[in-house]
Amino acid sequence: MKEIKSGKLISFVFYMIILIFVIVQSYPVVWVILSSFKSGEDLAGTVPYALPTAFYLGNYEKALFSSKLVRYFLNSTVVAAITLIGIIVFGAPTAYAISKIKFKQSKNLLAFFLIGMMVPIFSCLIPMFQIYNNLGLRNTYLSLILPQVGFGLPMCIYLYTGFMKFVPNELMEAAAIDGAGHWTTFLKIMLPMAKNSTVTIIIYNFVSIWNEFTYANTFMTKVNMKTLPIGLNDFVGEMGRRDWGATFATIVIAIVPTMIIYFILNKQVMEGMAAGAVKN
Amino acid sequence: MKPKYKLEPWLFSLPAILVYIGIVIFPLIWSISYSFTDWSGIGNKAFIGFDNYIRLFSDKTLWTAFRNNLFFMVVGTAFQLIAGLVMAILLTNITKGSNILRVVYFIPCIISSMAICKIFEKMLSVQPLGVIPAIMKLMGMEPIAFLSDYNLSLIWVTLIDGYKFCGLYMVIFYSAFMNISKDVVEAAYLDGCNWFQQYRYIKLPLIKNIFFVVLVILVNGTLKGFDVSYILTSGGPGNATELVATYMYKTAFSMSNFGYGSALAVFILLESLVAVGIVRLFEARSHKNE
Repeated sequence: MKEIKSGKLISFVFYMIILIFVIVQSYPVVWVILSSFKSGEDLAGTVPYALPTAFYLGNYEKALFSSKLVRYFLNSTVVAAITLIGIIVFGAPTAYAISKIKFKQSKNLLAFFLIGMMVPIFSCLIPMFQIYNNLGLRNTYLSLILPQVGFGLPMCIYLYTGFMKFVPNELMEAAAIDGAGHWTTFLKIMLPMAKNSTVTIIIYNFVSIWNEFTYANTFMTKVNMKTLPIGLNDFVGEMGRRDWGATFATIVIAIVPTMIIYFILNKQVMEGMAAGAVKN
Repeated sequence: MKPKYKLEPWLFSLPAILVYIGIVIFPLIWSISYSFTDWSGIGNKAFIGFDNYIRLFSDKTLWTAFRNNLFFMVVGTAFQLIAGLVMAILLTNITKGSNILRVVYFIPCIISSMAICKIFEKMLSVQPLGVIPAIMKLMGMEPIAFLSDYNLSLIWVTLIDGYKFCGLYMVIFYSAFMNISKDVVEAAYLDGCNWFQQYRYIKLPLIKNIFFVVLVILVNGTLKGFDVSYILTSGGPGNATELVATYMYKTAFSMSNFGYGSALAVFILLESLVAVGIVRLFEARSHKNE
């Protein structure tokens, strides 16, 4: 669809302004990628915005073999996978009950979950620390999974109910005539139909879980249990004083997996994150 | 649809209810009860009534943090709102390449605040020279260590936080503009509406709801601002970039002052409830004025 024509000159000006915005926005990331290929002499001898003179891989060698990046990566993956499963497994049936099973308290139940969207995580952090400490959950995956499942539920339930209430009841009734109970209807009819909502929920939560800082910084103190963002901090802090090349390489390794997923699924990621933010 | 038996809906929702109560509601209530105690995390909690709340009022660091947080909120919200809106308007007005440009513009949103902070830490560093001081030198200026400058560090923290998220608001505004019916715009064009008038009188009023949604997200988010300040400057130099959340976090977890930290946690809760309430009030008023 064409917008109303505003002349070639204006269109050129628009492109220029957009390009400046986009370059400013992406420059830090491009810069860190370029710098990660600079050798020691390059880093010391040239200005920081210069391009690398040669394609040097030594930084990556150092970053991969002298750190626990692989372990951090694994921790982040496990936490993200289990948290996402938890959010969906707990959230989806609740949304189904709220939107498709008639009972008196359904509206109140939804409202009860929506309170959670207003609660800042910082308001719960101290008791959480206390509870996890007493239960021996600190430095276990559960200490990151539990809070993120709990705080992920309101948005998940809200998004699912938003979709499910518009699914025509006739579909459920037809299934009921065929003898299907609510569980079967939920699993066989509703869940496959709600695929788009599921994708939105997964993407929105994945990005925030993968990048999560506060819980990981509070509950994970053992080196082997750190997630990627926290591990990055330690590593960069430790290497940053003497070895910038390895530091840049580490940052690149940490951001590349998300970037790859993003470039493949960019439309879903942008829409999912926007929908998640708006619904929150 | 009717349940087969009375308890059926609860069977569907009970696991979620239990998890949610245990993880969100229970600690929240507990936090409130801790705020009436003097407690270091170990040993006995001494009930001290409203003492922690009285202390809030005379706590100079808290008011500095609160003032910083207001600056962080106002400047951060304005910056992200304007950057997102302007970018969305520009992008809806070009025909070629808008997709790839949006994808690139959005990149910082998917990167962890830790990685972003580490990149900017290096870009802003003076010793060894990072990009930004190097450019200043190139232009004949004396490089400034922005992050350790008492007056300038807060604005950098605010802008870096805004840098990370403004792509998100571009996407939200962009899809709002795309959802405006072409007929309305076409009709306005035929009536002689110029480009600027289209936005002033038609498109912007039509996306007013989205505008307020974004405002709520931004106000709410910036009031709980934590990551960038904590990672990049740890609230310093002095208290120059201290925000309420970073102050609460340090009070509880660095100084083991769990009782007072809990009072600060309650303060954060009330603060964001009040702020969102104010935005909603403005929204209601703007609808009434129509």
